[in-house]
Amino acid sequence: MIKIQLVDDERNILSALRRLLKPEGWEVHTYDNVEEALGSLLEHEYAVIISDYRMPTADGVTYLQFAKQRQPDAIRLVLSAYGDRESMIKAINQAEVHRYLSKPWEDHEVVSVIRSAIDLYQLKKENQRLRQENDRQKDMLRAREEELLRLEAENPGITRVQRDADGSVLIGNDD
Amino acid sequence: MSNASTPQSDQELLNARLEQANQQLLQSEKLAAIGQLAAGVAHEINNPVGYVYSNLQTLDTYLNDLFRLTEAVDSARSLDDLRVIKQNIDYDYLRDDLRDLLAESREGIERVKTIIAAMKDFSHIEEEEFKPADIHRGIETTLNVVNNELKYKAEVVREFGELPEVECIISQINQVVMNLLVNAAHAIESFGRITIRTRQQGDTAIIEVQDTGKGISPEHRHRIFEPFFTTKPVGKGTGLGLSLSFNIIEKHQGSLDVDSTPGEGTCFRLTLPITQPDPNNE
Ligand SMILES: Nc1ncnc2c1ncn2[C@@H]1O[C@H](COP(=O)(O)OP(=O)(O)OP(=O)(O)O)[C@@H](O)[C@H]1O
Ligand SMILES: [Mg+2]
Repeated sequence: MIKIQLVDDERNILSALRRLLKPEGWEVHTYDNVEEALGSLLEHEYAVIISDYRMPTADGVTYLQFAKQRQPDAIRLVLSAYGDRESMIKAINQAEVHRYLSKPWEDHEVVSVIRSAIDLYQLKKENQRLRQENDRQKDMLRAREEELLRLEAENPGITRVQRDADGSVLIGNDD
Repeated sequence: MSNASTPQSDQELLNARLEQANQQLLQSEKLAAIGQLAAGVAHEINNPVGYVYSNLQTLDTYLNDLFRLTEAVDSARSLDDLRVIKQNIDYDYLRDDLRDLLAESREGIERVKTIIAAMKDFSHIEEEEFKPADIHRGIETTLNVVNNELKYKAEVVREFGELPEVECIISQINQVVMNLLVNAAHAIESFGRITIRTRQQGDTAIIEVQDTGKGISPEHRHRIFEPFFTTKPVGKGTGLGLSLSFNIIEKHQGSLDVDSTPGEGTCFRLTLPITQPDPNNE
């Protein structure tokens, strides 16, 4: 199940977003303070993390920087009423956010940005999975090569199997 | 305009020019304050507008669902058909959530309304005359306007005493209190407390703004009321806040004092006569 984390010190913003995202069928976790949000990063793996910019104990960029360390794969978004250049640049450079959304927002825009963030997250995951698979197969190949080399060193010629026209293995008559 | 027949001393001329410069300063400070606040107020308004706007879009979806049910009353062949629709639209959730949606949206609009009313109260450009005014109401108005500057920096504590109406230009007093509050918030590095205290003392009203900020160093103490004196980075402070506040209080025949301990905090005390001494009564 795709999990999404929302962080905003304004509870009514969280309810509005929860309503908006309900039909999408994602598991949506909401936090109105940074401390609890941080805690939940240890328990859940999120595909997308969306944070407000201005909050009492830590700003959204600082929070997302933490989140990036704990869950580097989660796609980070900022949803802010601030909308000034400074906060935007900070968000992009320091927390490497995927998109910067502003309040008030258009529902369909938020949903489609989250959808594309999820796609990106899944691509990242798939990519990682494929790379691991690839590495594993390479390791296997290497192990087999080494085994062959070892055999060849012990019994020269043993790895060069000779066959006749119909494919059956020929034994013993090297020349 | 001076005219040639009444010779003016250099002193008088200088005074007139100073007075004019002061007026201009007052105006420019007001503009600067408005500019600084505009960003904060935009933030304060964008939050409630954000969720109210989104809730309205959700409401549209909910209504479409409900209409699907009510319109099926005519076309459905059996009650069971209706029940199926009712289940499909998650009627129980919808009914509960509709109430929350409306309550929260109303709360949002109330917030916007309060902010706008505060801004209007605050600007009061028309009525620049001395009138008996409710100081506590003025403080609440000001708090509403600067809420955004304060809430992330400090817990605001009100210790209001009994105060009669005070004869003053309330919009200007609000501006002074705003300057003191914003300074207090700026002086607090992480999170602290700002206490606003009021009381009557004889025939004066006293307003104190106390913070748990970094304090004012002794070598700066005597300079803070100078125009353009600031310890804030370029672009952050113009250094006009306190000098303008001082002028305003002087015009009110009051006084503005400061008490500060570096590392512990600062308390600004504003003393205002409850009734203005009659200027014609020489
Ligand atoms: N509550 C306070 N605690 C500590 N220092 C203060 C406090 N209030 C004022 N100061 C000091 O006095 C200086 C002058 O304050 P003033 O309000 O005149 O200007 P400013 O805040 O720097 O700029 P602005 O014009 O934006 O108000 C400040 O820069 C700061 O160093
Ligand atoms: Mg100031």
